[in-house]
Amino acid sequence: MLHRRVYQFLIIYFTGLAALMLMKYSLHLSDYTIPGVTEIWTTCRRYFALYLMAVLNTLCVAILGHLLSICMATIVGIIGRLTIWIGSFIRVAAYNIQAYPIVAVAPIIFILLGDGLSSRLLIAAMICYFPLLLSFIGILSEPVKEIEHFFESTRRMNWGLQVKIRAFENIHKLITVIVGSATLAMVGTIVAEFIAANAGIGYSIRIALYQSDLAKILVALFLIGICTSIYLVFLEWLGWFIKKRFGTI
Amino acid sequence: MQRKLLQKIGLLGITMILILALAGCARDDEKSMEEVNYRLKWLFNISVVGDLYAHDSGLFAKNGLKVTVKPGGPEKDAIKELELGHAQFGVASADQVIRAVSKGAPIVVIAQLFQINPLHWIYRPDKTPLKTPQDLKGKTIGITHGGNDETIMRALLAKYDIRESEVKLFSVRYDYTPFYQGKVDLWPLYRNAQAPIIGAKLQKAGERFALMDPSKLGIRFVANSVVTTRKMLEERPETVKKFTRALLQGWQEVLKPANEQKAIDTVLKYNKETPEEIVRQQLPATRILMMPTPDFEFGKIDSAAWRQTEEIMLAQKLIPVPVFVEKLLKPVGEK
Repeated sequence: MLHRRVYQFLIIYFTGLAALMLMKYSLHLSDYTIPGVTEIWTTCRRYFALYLMAVLNTLCVAILGHLLSICMATIVGIIGRLTIWIGSFIRVAAYNIQAYPIVAVAPIIFILLGDGLSSRLLIAAMICYFPLLLSFIGILSEPVKEIEHFFESTRRMNWGLQVKIRAFENIHKLITVIVGSATLAMVGTIVAEFIAANAGIGYSIRIALYQSDLAKILVALFLIGICTSIYLVFLEWLGWFIKKRFGTI
Repeated sequence: MQRKLLQKIGLLGITMILILALAGCARDDEKSMEEVNYRLKWLFNISVVGDLYAHDSGLFAKNGLKVTVKPGGPEKDAIKELELGHAQFGVASADQVIRAVSKGAPIVVIAQLFQINPLHWIYRPDKTPLKTPQDLKGKTIGITHGGNDETIMRALLAKYDIRESEVKLFSVRYDYTPFYQGKVDLWPLYRNAQAPIIGAKLQKAGERFALMDPSKLGIRFVANSVVTTRKMLEERPETVKKFTRALLQGWQEVLKPANEQKAIDTVLKYNKETPEEIVRQQLPATRILMMPTPDFEFGKIDSAAWRQTEEIMLAQKLIPVPVFVEKLLKPVGEK
């Protein structure tokens, strides 16, 4: 599974790079506008270790942010499934918060939390939690009548049991959406680093942009792609393991 | 009845012919104008007032040019647009130009907009008295990693033999909170565009502020200049001359104290978010940076400052080898 993900990424990356090179050499563009192969290779050798550490740093924060967003989506989903006023209020609040562009909310987050790890985590979680939330609310609001009816008629139903039944019955959907939102967690963390942090690959990309250094950005994109592919494969494996453990496959 | 109808049709026909003729004339006029795109370095604000004035007052049109002035921004790079042919003229900072040329970009500098780099550091003189550069020791200084201000500050520290371990460099971004909270002693900003806004906030809070100008401490790092491609200069020298003439005239006129209101109105036309009183404060600050003396010839290229900029970049290994910056300077508009 891993090697398939990685070579698929490599095909996409090198196709993009080839398109850039085609443009560079057909339009006779300088290395400033599009760096040549030699410059990209030199930059790669020089910055690989540094950028790898930065990407790993970002990946760690993305994983934490992803976990945080799963927790946020679960909590909001559990409350939001209620048909009473608080459920409706939580749903509307969750949708409204998502509607704000993160660059506008970021200064408020920095004032409240500073520009360290907590801000990066929160921004990453905010960017990736919405697709999770939509699925979680949908799944947790949808009754599994044939099972719930039994517990309701025997008066053994409580909110915890209801959530467990609905989550278990929709485990495939939940795993798919969790895996799918992993890339958003990575993107969210990079955005947070770009606008706020002093570490991570987003911060390195910001510096490279100030220096108009596309070669550095291409190296960063390569490492981001590889690391994201590995994380996705891990999540897919975890999903497969959970499904197997609960006997749904 | 029929006669009246014929008269009406005739009148209508004549009117239509006149309209078409006039439209045709207008098209002919426009056809005779040479179209060029001009990419600015930043968004429409006080720092581009002369560019906008040259456009709005018809100075480009008088020189036979139809210029589309495009705002810049953090993600826009005029030099790349010149190479790709999306623009014929652009504004770029000196470090951008030198970096681009060191990587083979075929560009030349035709005029220098800022004579003094607008990048200064704001500080509170009551809390952080700075009498000599040595007073920087022990201070927390804001810099943007990878930005111009980092290069300038490192050059300043090197010039006065201040080791980096003797100061604390703080990574800054657009949020000024660490400076307002007093966590950072010196914060980089643009003297003409941002200092009036930040200074007003400090004054409102009852605090005095001052600005540290690196050029007064011997670091003359060139800021924005007008650039074009070498090919453009060689193949269309008349267009380059006409563009530069109109542009410099626009700047020269709009910066005259007598034209203060015109300058303010021009900025406000394109930038409705900045209050008029702020623009009124920004204008004299811009004038000082661009025309240090009233009789200054606008757009003059300061070769010595360009050489120093290149030396700083070489010393900090921002470029691998010298680019011999004098070769890039083509002051077509200078008398």
